[in-house]
Amino acid sequence: MLISIVASVALLAYATSLAGALGYLGLETRALAKMFLTLAYNPGLRELTAMAPEAVTAIVWDFRGVDTLYETVVFYMAIIAALAIYRGVPKVGGGGGTGLSLIVRVVTKLLIPMNIAVALSIAVHGHLTPGGGFQAGAALAVISVLLAVVYSFSSYGRVGIDIPKAVTLRSVGLVAIALVVFTPLIYSLVTGAQAYLMQNYVKVDSGFSFPAEVFGQLISGTLIWLNVAEFLAVSFGFCIIFMLLSLREEVIRPALVGEEHGP
Amino acid sequence: MALNALERFLLTLTLYNLLATAAISVYGIVARPSLVKKVISLTILGDALNVLAIFIGFRLFSIPPVLTPEVELSYFVGSAVDPLPQALVLTAIVIGLAVNLFLIFLALQVYRLYGTLDTRRIRELRG
Amino acid sequence: MVRVDVTLLLLALFSTVGLVFTYLAVSERDLVRAVIYSAVQSSAYAVMLYLLRAPDIVLVYLPVAVGLYPAALLFLIGKTEKVDGE
Repeated sequence: MLISIVASVALLAYATSLAGALGYLGLETRALAKMFLTLAYNPGLRELTAMAPEAVTAIVWDFRGVDTLYETVVFYMAIIAALAIYRGVPKVGGGGGTGLSLIVRVVTKLLIPMNIAVALSIAVHGHLTPGGGFQAGAALAVISVLLAVVYSFSSYGRVGIDIPKAVTLRSVGLVAIALVVFTPLIYSLVTGAQAYLMQNYVKVDSGFSFPAEVFGQLISGTLIWLNVAEFLAVSFGFCIIFMLLSLREEVIRPALVGEEHGP
Repeated sequence: MALNALERFLLTLTLYNLLATAAISVYGIVARPSLVKKVISLTILGDALNVLAIFIGFRLFSIPPVLTPEVELSYFVGSAVDPLPQALVLTAIVIGLAVNLFLIFLALQVYRLYGTLDTRRIRELRG
Repeated sequence: MVRVDVTLLLLALFSTVGLVFTYLAVSERDLVRAVIYSAVQSSAYAVMLYLLRAPDIVLVYLPVAVGLYPAALLFLIGKTEKVDGE
């Protein structure tokens, strides 16, 4: 069955490739792509550019920044829904359970600082090399999985994180994003000049801009602050998810199933 | 720049493989009775369609869309791949992640309340 | 001798690997093996994304599809049933 699927796909591809099924795929880029690539880092066109050499991060946080804002909101709502399912369960304390053997635990203890360093580097360099807020958050989330599997749920308590504290730290990241987005509005209310929400650099009719360079280093205005805030929010969001998934069933069952079936 | 027959065949084969993967994962969502298998197939469907979106923005003999200091701007614009599908697929991966993680939590709750994850047996339970 | 770019050969190869492992993952009864097959398919797709010149996407896709999805699914399988079907 599998061989027949692979063979028939290959045969169909050969037959239609002779007849031109591909069209213009793989040959030329569109005019819209050329416009974004020209405007990503272009000190000559100061009113249209994003001053970030990384074109994808410039599109994600500057040219189409509101899309990313709502994507953060969708992720936030999924975590709230997961917390709402577990609303009656005691989340502080509890634990026990054993982890894996000593060799695995020592090796994991050596890997965790390297993971933190790599994730921080990906977040802070997001506007110069491939990287950014969500990439760094996902890289740091692997530490939550390691803590849950190799040690056990009680290791979170020893590190000093429980679910209410993780929710607070995540909210700090989201408030930081909101502050950076609303700063042009506050500036416009205070001085009376015109500015746009989530504005990064000067525009044609607005003189407000975040600093694009500090002491000669390129920091690309809002992009670095938004990347670091998103990194904080995403990594603690994943921490909450894996803390909820690794709670033991004996703790959950009385709180959740008992209220459905009555006393 | 024209493609010869072997290059056209390989590009078409890649495109058809991605579409066939999407079709098999849709079959997996519909025809397998376990809720866990349905979630696995949904993740495979999302991955195949995201790679298809980036494949549409691809261009032969190109560089990634990152401007390094020694590259001229005109060369960069003339030979980099399309950065817009990559930005949209980034958002799509995050939203798919949120939906799939929530589905995993819901499947756990269904098991706690009904004792089974088999949709044929859940259909017979009637609440 | 016919000229062909290495990128196209590797793209076709890894997409075929992805197709094979998707079929194996969908048709397998044991759920833990199905999760492992889907993780192999995700690794093949991560290599394809690198060949398609998208390094930003590779940095998202690798932890999410190879690390977090199989981990969450294995937690789910450990707490519920382990076999698909009767």
